[in-house]
Amino acid sequence: MSKFARDTYTIDGVKTVVYSAGSGEPVVFFHGAGTIDGFDFAEPWTEKYRVIVPYHPGFGESGDDTSFTDLHDYVMHYLELFDTLRLDRFNLVGLSLGGYLAAKFASEHGHRVKKLALIAPAGMIDAMHPMLDLLAVPGEQVPGLLVSDFEVLKKRLPEKPDIDFMADRYREATTVARLLWERPGDPKFMRYLHRIKMPTLIVWGDEDKVIPVEQTETWRKFIPNADIKVFKGAGHLVHLEKREAVDAVARFLG
Amino acid sequence: MSGALRFNSMHFMPYIYLPENHKDYKSLWVSFPNKYFDPEKGHELYNRYLSELVMADRLGFDAIVVNEHHNTVYSMMATPNLIAAALVPQTKNARICVWGTPPNFMLPNRLAEEYAILDVMSKGRLEIALPLGTGMEYWSNPVNPATAREKFRESLKIMLQAWTEDGPTTHYGQFYTYRFLNPWPRPYQKPHPPCYVVGTGSPETIEIAAELGFGYASVFVTQQRARELNETLRQRAAHYGHTLRPDQLPLLTFVYVAETQERAEQEYIVHLQRFFEDYARTSPQFLAPPGYLSTDQLKMRAAMADKMHGGFDFQAISKSFFIAVGTPDKVANQIGEWSQWMKTSHINCVTHVADMPHWKTVKNLTLFAEEVMPRLRTRVQPALRAAAE
Repeated sequence: MSKFARDTYTIDGVKTVVYSAGSGEPVVFFHGAGTIDGFDFAEPWTEKYRVIVPYHPGFGESGDDTSFTDLHDYVMHYLELFDTLRLDRFNLVGLSLGGYLAAKFASEHGHRVKKLALIAPAGMIDAMHPMLDLLAVPGEQVPGLLVSDFEVLKKRLPEKPDIDFMADRYREATTVARLLWERPGDPKFMRYLHRIKMPTLIVWGDEDKVIPVEQTETWRKFIPNADIKVFKGAGHLVHLEKREAVDAVARFLG
Repeated sequence: MSGALRFNSMHFMPYIYLPENHKDYKSLWVSFPNKYFDPEKGHELYNRYLSELVMADRLGFDAIVVNEHHNTVYSMMATPNLIAAALVPQTKNARICVWGTPPNFMLPNRLAEEYAILDVMSKGRLEIALPLGTGMEYWSNPVNPATAREKFRESLKIMLQAWTEDGPTTHYGQFYTYRFLNPWPRPYQKPHPPCYVVGTGSPETIEIAAELGFGYASVFVTQQRARELNETLRQRAAHYGHTLRPDQLPLLTFVYVAETQERAEQEYIVHLQRFFEDYARTSPQFLAPPGYLSTDQLKMRAAMADKMHGGFDFQAISKSFFIAVGTPDKVANQIGEWSQWMKTSHINCVTHVADMPHWKTVKNLTLFAEEVMPRLRTRVQPALRAAAE
């Protein structure tokens, strides 16, 4: 995160850490349900854009708010953060759970989102191609499921069992459980996806073991104008495995 | 309450016909395939185990104890109130302890009703424990572990309101809405059957027990930790204006009695070993679903688990936990000492473990009732008397 400056805000009582770098049109990135992948992949975007990467409440360096029990609480949190940052209209990129959140935000507040890029987004209820329920997977098996080439992720993991690392993951899983334990999918999410009218890009790895790449077709049904790009030989964290995926997002943003 | 000791006989009702390949499974909980349950064998076991609990009543145990677990060979009592209902007409004197159904897995009014029915049927012999439920149960029941503690508190409030306030009343909470909380019947005992909170030492759970003035039953913690927890509970209860009686802090102990020390160990240890190594075997994931523990508790327990690795060692485990195995004299002496050290008069004896056969259970129950209990009942318990006064 060398290029990124760290700022801390208090949003409705919750400590919110935001990293940002670069100048130009703003691009906000919503991270996924874990934060081990880091944000350095986004550095190429900073050449042309002001890249803003907040930690969601309950993840990474931001504080907890145990009253967040619904993804909509995060939509409300970001409305307040964006007001604080004076971000009126911006490009929005979301990965996995962050993709779910980005799509939800865009379906509710479309006038604020100039362009939307979703990287292997969660949230779609697709009975034929269901998302893997990561909450049911033993923690030690999760990293191997996130990528096609494990070497990409290995350097971000502790070499031997590490209680603090484990506790950080447990905390993030707890945050996810509050949102999704009883109802991993919300049919109302799809009900309003048609409201997404801004230019939209959907990026996927064809070896995604968490959310099957076949879900791209389901997304297409809900957002017919979306541009879909699938990268060969990449898993769920396609942005870490394929620099081309990061560049594709940059090209889409223009 | 005098210093007289009280003795329970507790049964887990395990399913003992493990397949030969069971060691291939990391956990005999949650995900252990239920194709291995044979209802013919289950039928035999239920009848046998019920007879062992009934026998405890006939032999003079003060109470018999059943409890609840799901998706596991560890216990066949997924719904312990059914077991308790079968025990009521077959027993005369023993108090019937359902220790217990986690309120989070039932509608609170329905659980209040079931307990009231058992209490009325048994003419006030019911005692209840209110567990949060182990982590494993949250993988087996559709309840969010991350909000379990808030839900638990609300459930207890509803149950107590149902028992103690004249209905109909209302409840508008975070998890439940009752427009007419008015359950029939109401409990036989007033204001309600004796209640305990069960726990492994989470500060949140201790606080609930202290606040409500309930008993607290610590389970599967070391001797030293159990003592600390009792002390903490007394202090926290006092903070809320409650004075805990010695019988409100049951001491959980494994017991086995035989003619000689050698014989007791020879007959018992193999089953105790299987209890710890097989029946209680589960994974860190199942023990701690997301949000079930605070991250501080998780770190503490992970550090503890690291220390406890290694094989089963009877001598070591007997030093850490309450396990009384030997002659009537030895077992009576140990329990006598522990009760004073823990300042409790309530001894909750696990009289059957794992695949212990019927004859050993009968022998253990009989020797404990006829040889151990009389030795302890006649003994003066100065520490307890002082505590009671």
